Amino acid sequence: MERGPAGSIRVNGQSYDRPFPPERILLDLLREDFNLTGTKRGCDLGTCGCCTVWIDGVPTLSCLTLAALAEGHTITTVEGLSSPSELHAVQRAFVERGATQCGFCTPGFIMTAAALLRDQPHPSREEITKAISGNLCRCTGYSKIIEAIEVAAAGTG
Amino acid sequence: MHLDPFELHRPASVGEAVELTRKFGPACDLLAGGTDLLPNYKMHLNVKRHLVALGDVAELRTHSLERIGAMTRLGELERDTAFRATYPGLAEAIGEVATPLVRASATVGGNLLVETRCFFFNQSYFWRDSLGYCLKADGDRCHVVPQKERCYATFSGDLAPALGVLNASIEIAGPTGLRTVNVLDLYDAAGDGIRRHHLAEGEIVTAILLPDSARRVRSTYRKLRIRPTFDFPELGIAASLDLDGSRVRALAIAAGGLETYPKRFDEFTAPLVGAPLTAEAITAIADQIMRSVRPVYNTFLAPDYRKRMVAVYVRRALEHLSGVRAEAAG
Repeated sequence: MERGPAGSIRVNGQSYDRPFPPERILLDLLREDFNLTGTKRGCDLGTCGCCTVWIDGVPTLSCLTLAALAEGHTITTVEGLSSPSELHAVQRAFVERGATQCGFCTPGFIMTAAALLRDQPHPSREEITKAISGNLCRCTGYSKIIEAIEVAAAGTG
Repeated sequence: MHLDPFELHRPASVGEAVELTRKFGPACDLLAGGTDLLPNYKMHLNVKRHLVALGDVAELRTHSLERIGAMTRLGELERDTAFRATYPGLAEAIGEVATPLVRASATVGGNLLVETRCFFFNQSYFWRDSLGYCLKADGDRCHVVPQKERCYATFSGDLAPALGVLNASIEIAGPTGLRTVNVLDLYDAAGDGIRRHHLAEGEIVTAILLPDSARRVRSTYRKLRIRPTFDFPELGIAASLDLDGSRVRALAIAAGGLETYPKRFDEFTAPLVGAPLTAEAITAIADQIMRSVRPVYNTFLAPDYRKRMVAVYVRRALEHLSGVRAEAAG
Protein backbone atom coordinates (compact mmCIF):
# COMPACT_ATOMS: atom_id res chain seq x y z
CA MET A 1 0.00 0.00 0.00
CA GLU A 2 1.21 3.50 -0.76
CA ARG A 3 2.92 5.63 1.88
CA GLY A 4 1.92 9.15 0.78
CA PRO A 5 1.43 11.35 -0.98
CA ALA A 6 -2.17 11.00 0.05
CA GLY A 7 -5.04 12.80 -1.63
CA SER A 8 -6.58 16.03 -0.53
CA ILE A 9 -8.23 16.75 2.77
CA ARG A 10 -11.03 19.29 3.14
CA VAL A 11 -10.93 21.48 6.24
CA ASN A 12 -13.20 24.46 6.94
CA GLY A 13 -14.34 24.54 3.31
CA GLN A 14 -10.82 24.58 1.92
CA SER A 15 -8.97 21.72 0.23
CA TYR A 16 -5.43 21.00 1.33
CA ASP A 17 -3.15 18.96 -0.88
CA ARG A 18 -0.21 17.87 1.18
CA PRO A 19 1.56 14.52 1.22
CA PHE A 20 1.41 12.71 4.54
CA PRO A 21 2.24 9.19 5.65
CA PRO A 22 -0.48 6.73 6.76
CA GLU A 23 0.50 7.00 10.41
CA ARG A 24 -0.12 10.77 10.43
CA ILE A 25 -2.74 11.64 13.05
CA LEU A 26 -5.38 14.20 12.04
CA LEU A 27 -4.59 16.41 15.05
CA ASP A 28 -0.92 16.62 14.06
CA LEU A 29 -1.82 17.36 10.45
CA LEU A 30 -4.16 20.18 11.46
CA ARG A 31 -1.78 21.80 13.91
CA GLU A 32 1.64 21.17 12.39
CA ASP A 33 1.00 21.06 8.66
CA PHE A 34 -2.01 23.37 8.27
CA ASN A 35 -1.20 25.69 11.22
CA LEU A 36 -4.77 25.33 12.54
CA THR A 37 -3.66 25.52 16.16
CA GLY A 38 -7.10 26.27 17.60
CA THR A 39 -7.50 22.52 17.99
CA LYS A 40 -5.50 21.63 21.10
CA ARG A 41 -3.38 18.66 22.02
CA GLY A 42 -4.26 17.69 25.59
CA CYS A 43 -3.87 14.09 26.70
CA ASP A 44 -3.34 12.85 23.13
CA LEU A 45 -5.06 9.61 24.16
CA GLY A 46 -8.77 10.40 23.77
CA THR A 47 -9.49 11.22 27.39
CA CYS A 48 -9.74 15.02 27.50
CA GLY A 49 -11.63 16.19 24.39
CA CYS A 50 -9.33 19.21 23.77
CA CYS A 51 -8.75 18.03 20.20
CA THR A 52 -12.45 17.83 19.24
CA VAL A 53 -13.25 18.67 15.63
CA TRP A 54 -16.27 17.85 13.52
CA ILE A 55 -15.99 15.13 10.92
CA ASP A 56 -19.06 15.36 8.70
CA GLY A 57 -20.64 17.39 11.50
CA VAL A 58 -20.00 14.78 14.23
CA PRO A 59 -17.77 15.86 17.16
CA THR A 60 -14.77 13.54 16.94
CA LEU A 61 -11.41 13.14 18.67
CA SER A 62 -8.82 14.25 16.13
CA CYS A 63 -6.03 12.75 18.28
CA LEU A 64 -7.44 9.28 17.64
CA THR A 65 -8.19 9.73 13.94
CA LEU A 66 -5.79 8.77 11.18
CA ALA A 67 -5.62 11.67 8.72
CA ALA A 68 -5.71 9.20 5.83
CA LEU A 69 -9.12 7.97 6.98
CA ALA A 70 -10.46 11.54 7.09
CA GLU A 71 -9.91 11.96 3.35
CA GLY A 72 -13.17 12.43 1.53
CA HIS A 73 -14.87 13.70 4.69
CA THR A 74 -15.69 17.26 5.70
CA ILE A 75 -13.65 18.50 8.65
CA THR A 76 -14.56 21.58 10.67
CA THR A 77 -12.23 23.01 13.31
CA VAL A 78 -12.92 25.82 15.76
CA GLU A 79 -11.44 28.23 13.20
CA GLY A 80 -14.18 27.26 10.75
CA LEU A 81 -17.12 27.42 13.13
CA SER A 82 -17.90 31.06 12.41
CA SER A 83 -16.59 33.89 10.27
CA PRO A 84 -13.53 35.84 11.44
CA SER A 85 -15.73 38.87 12.05
CA GLU A 86 -18.47 37.23 14.07
CA LEU A 87 -18.39 34.74 16.91
CA HIS A 88 -20.62 31.67 17.03
CA ALA A 89 -23.43 31.99 19.62
CA VAL A 90 -21.66 29.45 21.86
CA GLN A 91 -18.39 31.36 21.65
CA ARG A 92 -20.21 34.61 22.48
CA ALA A 93 -21.88 33.00 25.50
CA PHE A 94 -18.53 31.59 26.73
CA VAL A 95 -17.05 35.10 26.59
CA GLU A 96 -20.01 36.76 28.27
CA ARG A 97 -20.34 34.18 31.02
CA GLY A 98 -16.62 33.91 31.73
CA ALA A 99 -16.68 30.20 30.91
CA THR A 100 -12.98 30.26 30.15
CA GLN A 101 -10.07 30.40 32.56
CA CYS A 102 -6.81 29.12 31.07
CA GLY A 103 -8.71 28.49 27.84
CA PHE A 104 -6.88 25.36 26.77
CA CYS A 105 -9.96 23.17 26.80
CA THR A 106 -12.26 25.85 25.37
CA PRO A 107 -12.09 24.99 21.64
CA GLY A 108 -13.04 21.40 22.41
CA PHE A 109 -15.98 22.48 24.56
CA ILE A 110 -17.08 24.96 21.88
CA MET A 111 -17.10 22.27 19.17
CA THR A 112 -19.01 19.80 21.37
CA ALA A 113 -21.53 22.41 22.56
CA ALA A 114 -22.12 23.89 19.10
CA ALA A 115 -22.94 20.43 17.72
CA LEU A 116 -25.27 19.75 20.66
CA LEU A 117 -27.23 22.96 20.09
CA ARG A 118 -27.35 22.38 16.33
CA ASP A 119 -28.94 18.94 16.87
CA GLN A 120 -30.89 19.74 20.01
CA PRO A 121 -31.57 23.49 20.30
CA HIS A 122 -33.05 23.36 23.82
CA PRO A 123 -31.23 20.70 25.86
CA SER A 124 -31.86 20.14 29.54
CA ARG A 125 -29.04 20.66 32.05
CA GLU A 126 -28.67 16.89 32.28
CA GLU A 127 -28.40 16.59 28.51
CA ILE A 128 -25.74 19.32 28.45
CA THR A 129 -23.77 17.61 31.21
CA LYS A 130 -23.90 14.31 29.38
CA ALA A 131 -22.92 15.89 26.04
CA ILE A 132 -19.79 17.52 27.51
CA SER A 133 -18.80 14.49 29.60
CA GLY A 134 -15.94 13.77 27.20
CA ASN A 135 -14.43 17.23 27.58
CA LEU A 136 -12.27 17.86 30.64
CA CYS A 137 -11.67 21.29 32.21
CA ARG A 138 -9.17 21.63 35.07
CA CYS A 139 -10.02 25.26 35.93
CA THR A 140 -13.66 26.21 35.88
CA GLY A 141 -15.45 23.48 37.78
CA TYR A 142 -17.80 23.34 34.76
CA SER A 143 -20.53 25.57 36.23
CA LYS A 144 -19.77 28.55 33.99
CA ILE A 145 -19.41 26.30 30.96
CA ILE A 146 -22.82 24.73 31.53
CA GLU A 147 -24.34 28.18 32.15
CA ALA A 148 -22.81 29.51 28.93
CA ILE A 149 -24.29 26.64 26.92
CA GLU A 150 -27.68 27.31 28.52
CA VAL A 151 -27.36 31.01 27.63
CA ALA A 152 -26.45 30.15 24.04
CA ALA A 153 -29.43 27.78 23.85
CA ALA A 154 -31.78 30.42 25.22
CA GLY A 155 -30.45 32.96 22.73
CA THR A 156 -30.08 35.48 25.53
CA GLY A 157 -26.34 35.97 25.20
CA MET B 1 2.77 11.42 20.54
CA HIS B 2 3.55 10.11 17.09
CA LEU B 3 2.84 6.68 15.73
CA ASP B 4 5.51 4.32 14.49
CA PRO B 5 5.33 3.85 10.69
CA PHE B 6 2.96 1.18 9.39
CA GLU B 7 1.33 0.26 6.13
CA LEU B 8 -2.36 1.06 5.95
CA HIS B 9 -4.69 -1.23 4.02
CA ARG B 10 -8.26 -0.27 3.23
CA PRO B 11 -10.31 -3.24 2.02
CA ALA B 12 -13.69 -2.49 0.46
CA SER B 13 -15.30 -5.86 1.23
CA VAL B 14 -15.29 -8.55 3.91
CA GLY B 15 -13.58 -10.88 1.44
CA GLU B 16 -10.71 -8.46 0.91
CA ALA B 17 -10.41 -7.86 4.65
CA VAL B 18 -10.21 -11.60 5.33
CA GLU B 19 -7.59 -12.04 2.62
CA LEU B 20 -5.42 -9.21 4.00
CA THR B 21 -5.77 -10.49 7.57
CA ARG B 22 -4.82 -14.00 6.46
CA LYS B 23 -1.91 -12.73 4.36
CA PHE B 24 -0.29 -10.66 7.11
CA GLY B 25 -1.29 -12.87 10.05
CA PRO B 26 0.35 -11.81 13.31
CA ALA B 27 2.04 -8.87 11.55
CA CYS B 28 -1.26 -7.01 11.29
CA ASP B 29 -3.96 -5.50 13.44
CA LEU B 30 -7.52 -4.68 12.46
CA LEU B 31 -8.43 -1.01 12.85
CA ALA B 32 -12.09 -0.38 13.70
CA GLY B 33 -12.85 2.88 15.56
CA GLY B 34 -9.25 3.24 16.69
CA THR B 35 -10.15 4.49 20.16
CA ASP B 36 -8.40 1.58 21.86
CA LEU B 37 -5.79 0.55 19.31
CA LEU B 38 -4.35 3.99 18.54
CA PRO B 39 -3.74 4.96 22.20
CA ASN B 40 -1.94 1.64 22.60
CA TYR B 41 0.08 2.30 19.45
CA LYS B 42 0.99 5.74 20.80
CA MET B 43 2.32 3.99 23.91
CA HIS B 44 4.27 1.63 21.61
CA LEU B 45 2.32 -1.38 22.85
CA ASN B 46 2.56 -4.33 20.47
CA VAL B 47 2.69 -2.19 17.32
CA LYS B 48 2.27 -4.13 14.06
CA ARG B 49 3.66 -3.33 10.62
CA HIS B 50 0.29 -3.56 8.87
CA LEU B 51 -3.06 -2.02 9.78
CA VAL B 52 -6.20 -3.24 8.04
CA ALA B 53 -8.78 -0.46 8.38
CA LEU B 54 -12.36 -1.73 8.15
CA GLY B 55 -14.13 1.63 7.79
CA ASP B 56 -14.66 1.30 4.04
CA VAL B 57 -16.42 -2.07 4.27
CA ALA B 58 -20.02 -0.89 3.88
CA GLU B 59 -21.56 -4.26 4.74
CA LEU B 60 -20.08 -4.06 8.25
CA ARG B 61 -21.72 -0.72 8.97
CA THR B 62 -25.44 -1.49 8.81
CA HIS B 63 -27.60 -2.50 11.74
CA SER B 64 -31.13 -3.69 12.48
CA LEU B 65 -32.78 -4.99 15.64
CA GLU B 66 -31.66 -8.53 14.75
CA ARG B 67 -28.19 -7.91 13.33
CA ILE B 68 -25.58 -5.31 14.21
CA GLY B 69 -22.69 -4.91 11.78
CA ALA B 70 -19.37 -5.04 13.62
CA MET B 71 -18.37 -1.56 12.41
CA THR B 72 -21.55 0.09 13.68
CA ARG B 73 -20.51 3.07 15.81
CA LEU B 74 -21.70 3.02 19.41
CA GLY B 75 -22.98 6.57 18.95
CA GLU B 76 -25.25 5.40 16.11
CA LEU B 77 -26.88 2.78 18.34
CA GLU B 78 -27.21 5.34 21.12
CA ARG B 79 -29.25 7.62 18.85
CA ASP B 80 -31.49 4.77 17.62
CA THR B 81 -34.62 5.09 19.81
CA ALA B 82 -36.12 1.76 18.66
CA PHE B 83 -32.87 -0.02 19.51
CA ARG B 84 -32.72 1.60 22.95
CA ALA B 85 -36.33 0.66 23.73
CA THR B 86 -35.85 -2.95 22.58
CA TYR B 87 -32.59 -3.67 24.40
CA PRO B 88 -32.48 -1.43 27.50
CA GLY B 89 -29.65 -3.35 29.17
CA LEU B 90 -27.52 -3.27 26.06
CA ALA B 91 -28.29 0.44 25.62
CA GLU B 92 -27.17 1.06 29.20
CA ALA B 93 -23.90 -0.73 28.51
CA ILE B 94 -23.32 1.28 25.32
CA GLY B 95 -24.04 4.54 27.15
CA GLU B 96 -21.50 3.58 29.82
CA VAL B 97 -18.62 3.14 27.35
CA ALA B 98 -16.03 5.89 27.75
CA THR B 99 -17.42 9.27 26.58
CA PRO B 100 -19.74 10.55 23.82
CA LEU B 101 -16.66 11.63 21.87
CA VAL B 102 -15.15 8.16 22.06
CA ARG B 103 -18.50 6.58 21.19
CA ALA B 104 -18.66 8.71 18.03
CA SER B 105 -15.80 6.60 16.65
CA ALA B 106 -15.83 3.40 18.74
CA THR B 107 -17.52 0.36 17.22
CA VAL B 108 -19.43 -2.66 18.49
CA GLY B 109 -16.83 -5.08 17.14
CA GLY B 110 -14.02 -3.00 18.59
CA ASN B 111 -15.59 -3.06 22.05
CA LEU B 112 -15.94 -6.85 21.90
CA LEU B 113 -12.26 -7.17 21.04
CA VAL B 114 -10.97 -4.33 23.21
CA GLU B 115 -7.48 -5.03 24.54
CA THR B 116 -7.31 -6.31 28.10
CA ARG B 117 -5.96 -3.77 30.57
CA CYS B 118 -3.45 -3.71 33.42
CA PHE B 119 -1.44 -1.18 35.46
CA PHE B 120 1.76 -2.66 34.13
CA PHE B 121 0.66 -2.76 30.48
CA ASN B 122 -1.22 0.51 29.88
CA GLN B 123 1.81 2.69 30.46
CA SER B 124 4.23 4.65 28.31
CA TYR B 125 7.30 3.00 26.85
CA PHE B 126 9.54 4.91 29.27
CA TRP B 127 7.48 3.84 32.27
CA ARG B 128 7.59 0.22 31.21
CA ASP B 129 11.28 0.45 30.34
CA SER B 130 12.12 1.69 33.83
CA LEU B 131 10.35 -1.18 35.59
CA GLY B 132 11.06 -3.96 33.14
CA TYR B 133 8.56 -5.05 30.53
CA CYS B 134 5.70 -7.45 31.16
CA LEU B 135 4.51 -10.71 29.68
CA LYS B 136 1.89 -8.93 27.58
CA ALA B 137 4.32 -6.56 25.87
CA ASP B 138 8.06 -6.83 25.28
CA GLY B 139 8.81 -8.83 28.46
CA ASP B 140 8.65 -12.34 29.88
CA ARG B 141 7.15 -11.96 33.36
CA CYS B 142 3.88 -10.84 34.92
CA HIS B 143 4.24 -8.15 37.59
CA VAL B 144 0.74 -8.71 39.01
CA VAL B 145 1.01 -12.42 39.75
CA PRO B 146 4.77 -12.96 39.53
CA GLN B 147 5.40 -15.85 37.15
CA LYS B 148 6.12 -16.30 33.47
CA GLU B 149 3.21 -18.35 32.18
CA ARG B 150 -0.01 -16.33 32.30
CA CYS B 151 -1.11 -12.73 31.82
CA TYR B 152 -3.77 -11.42 34.21
CA ALA B 153 -4.76 -8.23 32.36
CA THR B 154 -8.46 -7.54 32.86
CA PHE B 155 -11.16 -7.80 30.21
CA SER B 156 -12.52 -4.25 30.01
CA GLY B 157 -15.30 -4.25 27.42
CA ASP B 158 -18.81 -3.24 28.48
CA LEU B 159 -20.78 -4.83 25.66
CA ALA B 160 -19.76 -8.48 25.97
CA PRO B 161 -21.48 -9.11 29.33
CA ALA B 162 -24.58 -7.22 28.16
CA LEU B 163 -24.71 -9.26 24.95
CA GLY B 164 -23.88 -12.45 26.84
CA VAL B 165 -27.00 -12.30 29.01
CA LEU B 166 -29.10 -11.80 25.85
CA ASN B 167 -27.66 -14.99 24.32
CA ALA B 168 -26.32 -13.00 21.39
CA SER B 169 -24.13 -14.67 18.78
CA ILE B 170 -21.15 -13.44 16.83
CA GLU B 171 -20.86 -13.91 13.10
CA ILE B 172 -17.28 -14.53 12.03
CA ALA B 173 -15.95 -14.47 8.47
CA GLY B 174 -12.80 -16.36 7.59
CA PRO B 175 -10.92 -18.00 4.75
CA THR B 176 -13.30 -21.00 4.88
CA GLY B 177 -16.52 -18.98 5.06
CA LEU B 178 -18.87 -17.83 7.80
CA ARG B 179 -19.36 -19.34 11.23
CA THR B 180 -21.41 -18.32 14.24
CA VAL B 181 -20.58 -18.69 17.93
CA ASN B 182 -22.19 -17.60 21.17
CA VAL B 183 -20.71 -14.23 22.07
CA LEU B 184 -18.99 -15.43 25.24
CA ASP B 185 -17.49 -18.41 23.40
CA LEU B 186 -15.47 -15.86 21.43
CA TYR B 187 -13.18 -15.49 24.43
CA ASP B 188 -10.39 -17.80 25.48
CA ALA B 189 -10.92 -18.53 29.16
CA ALA B 190 -8.30 -21.25 29.41
CA GLY B 191 -5.43 -19.68 27.50
CA ASP B 192 -2.42 -17.63 28.51
CA GLY B 193 -4.48 -14.44 28.95
CA ILE B 194 -2.59 -12.69 26.17
CA ARG B 195 -4.36 -14.26 23.23
CA ARG B 196 -7.84 -13.28 24.36
CA HIS B 197 -10.14 -14.78 21.74
CA HIS B 198 -10.69 -17.87 19.61
CA LEU B 199 -10.39 -16.16 16.22
CA ALA B 200 -8.26 -18.15 13.79
CA GLU B 201 -5.81 -16.50 11.43
CA GLY B 202 -7.73 -14.57 8.78
CA GLU B 203 -10.97 -14.48 10.76
CA ILE B 204 -12.79 -11.24 11.51
CA VAL B 205 -15.93 -10.52 13.51
CA THR B 206 -18.56 -9.28 11.05
CA ALA B 207 -21.77 -8.95 13.08
CA ILE B 208 -23.64 -9.48 16.32
CA LEU B 209 -26.84 -11.49 16.02
CA LEU B 210 -29.62 -11.00 18.57
CA PRO B 211 -32.16 -13.82 19.00
CA ASP B 212 -35.93 -13.35 19.42
CA SER B 213 -35.60 -14.15 23.13
CA ALA B 214 -33.43 -11.05 23.59
CA ARG B 215 -36.48 -8.93 22.80
CA ARG B 216 -38.63 -10.65 25.47
CA VAL B 217 -36.41 -10.50 28.54
CA ARG B 218 -35.76 -7.54 30.81
CA SER B 219 -32.10 -6.63 31.06
CA THR B 220 -29.78 -4.17 32.75
CA TYR B 221 -26.07 -3.29 33.02
CA ARG B 222 -24.34 -1.79 36.07
CA LYS B 223 -20.78 -0.46 35.87
CA LEU B 224 -18.38 0.27 38.71
CA ARG B 225 -15.78 2.94 38.00
CA ILE B 226 -14.19 5.89 39.76
CA ARG B 227 -15.33 8.69 37.44
CA PRO B 228 -18.81 8.55 35.93
CA THR B 229 -17.24 9.13 32.52
CA PHE B 230 -14.43 7.72 30.40
CA ASP B 231 -13.19 5.06 32.85
CA PHE B 232 -13.01 1.42 31.88
CA PRO B 233 -15.02 -0.92 34.10
CA GLU B 234 -13.60 -1.89 37.47
CA LEU B 235 -16.59 -4.23 37.36
CA GLY B 236 -19.47 -4.56 34.93
CA ILE B 237 -22.52 -6.63 35.82
CA ALA B 238 -25.15 -7.49 33.21
CA ALA B 239 -28.35 -9.36 34.01
CA SER B 240 -31.41 -10.50 32.09
CA LEU B 241 -34.62 -11.83 33.59
CA ASP B 242 -37.82 -13.34 32.24
CA LEU B 243 -40.48 -13.88 34.90
CA ASP B 244 -43.63 -16.00 34.72
CA GLY B 245 -45.58 -14.30 37.46
CA SER B 246 -43.13 -14.39 40.35
CA ARG B 247 -41.34 -17.49 39.04
CA VAL B 248 -38.14 -17.36 37.00
CA ARG B 249 -38.54 -18.47 33.40
CA ALA B 250 -34.99 -17.42 32.47
CA LEU B 251 -32.19 -15.66 34.34
CA ALA B 252 -28.65 -14.84 33.24
CA ILE B 253 -25.90 -12.86 34.93
CA ALA B 254 -22.53 -12.00 33.38
CA ALA B 255 -19.55 -9.90 34.45
CA GLY B 256 -16.66 -8.04 32.92
CA GLY B 257 -13.80 -6.21 34.60
CA LEU B 258 -12.88 -9.13 36.85
CA GLU B 259 -10.84 -11.63 34.86
CA THR B 260 -9.13 -11.87 31.49
CA TYR B 261 -12.44 -12.70 29.80
CA PRO B 262 -16.14 -11.90 30.36
CA LYS B 263 -18.01 -14.72 32.08
CA ARG B 264 -21.54 -15.89 32.80
CA PHE B 265 -22.61 -17.48 36.06
CA ASP B 266 -25.03 -20.13 34.81
CA GLU B 267 -24.02 -22.56 37.55
CA PHE B 268 -25.63 -20.21 40.08
CA THR B 269 -28.61 -18.99 38.04
CA ALA B 270 -29.77 -22.33 36.58
CA PRO B 271 -31.14 -23.73 39.90
CA LEU B 272 -33.47 -20.74 40.13
CA VAL B 273 -35.38 -21.53 36.94
CA GLY B 274 -38.96 -22.40 37.90
CA ALA B 275 -38.54 -21.02 41.40
CA PRO B 276 -39.78 -17.69 42.72
CA LEU B 277 -37.23 -14.86 42.76
CA THR B 278 -37.41 -13.94 46.41
CA ALA B 279 -35.31 -11.50 48.40
CA GLU B 280 -33.50 -14.48 49.96
CA ALA B 281 -32.78 -15.96 46.53
CA ILE B 282 -31.35 -12.66 45.29
CA THR B 283 -29.14 -12.31 48.36
CA ALA B 284 -27.93 -15.90 48.04
CA ILE B 285 -27.06 -15.68 44.36
CA ALA B 286 -25.27 -12.33 44.83
CA ASP B 287 -23.21 -13.94 47.59
CA GLN B 288 -22.43 -17.06 45.54
CA ILE B 289 -21.23 -15.05 42.56
CA MET B 290 -19.12 -12.80 44.77
CA ARG B 291 -17.41 -15.80 46.37
CA SER B 292 -16.63 -17.34 42.97
CA VAL B 293 -14.62 -14.44 41.51
CA ARG B 294 -10.95 -13.62 42.05
CA PRO B 295 -10.00 -10.16 40.79
CA VAL B 296 -6.31 -9.31 41.01
CA TYR B 297 -4.65 -5.99 41.82
CA ASN B 298 -4.15 -4.58 38.32
CA THR B 299 -6.81 -1.86 38.11
CA PHE B 300 -7.42 1.27 40.18
CA LEU B 301 -9.68 -0.19 42.86
CA ALA B 302 -8.46 -2.84 45.28
CA PRO B 303 -9.46 -6.40 44.40
CA ASP B 304 -11.16 -7.01 47.74
CA TYR B 305 -13.39 -3.98 47.18
CA ARG B 306 -14.21 -5.04 43.61
CA LYS B 307 -15.07 -8.52 44.87
CA ARG B 308 -17.41 -7.15 47.54
CA MET B 309 -19.04 -4.86 45.02
CA VAL B 310 -19.91 -7.87 42.87
CA ALA B 311 -22.52 -8.84 45.47
CA VAL B 312 -23.85 -5.29 45.66
CA TYR B 313 -24.10 -4.86 41.89
CA VAL B 314 -25.69 -8.26 41.30
CA ARG B 315 -28.24 -7.52 44.00
CA ARG B 316 -29.02 -4.09 42.60
CA ALA B 317 -29.38 -5.45 39.07
CA LEU B 318 -31.80 -8.18 40.17
CA GLU B 319 -33.76 -5.80 42.37
CA HIS B 320 -34.13 -3.46 39.41
CA LEU B 321 -35.31 -6.22 37.08
CA SER B 322 -37.65 -7.98 39.51
CA GLY B 323 -38.95 -5.17 41.71
CA VAL B 324 -38.09 -7.36 44.72
CA ARG B 325 -36.20 -5.62 47.51
CA ALA B 326 -33.40 -7.77 48.96
CA GLU B 327 -31.05 -7.58 51.90
CA ALA B 328 -27.46 -6.50 51.27
CA ALA B 329 -25.21 -9.52 50.91
CA GLY B 330 -21.65 -9.95 52.12
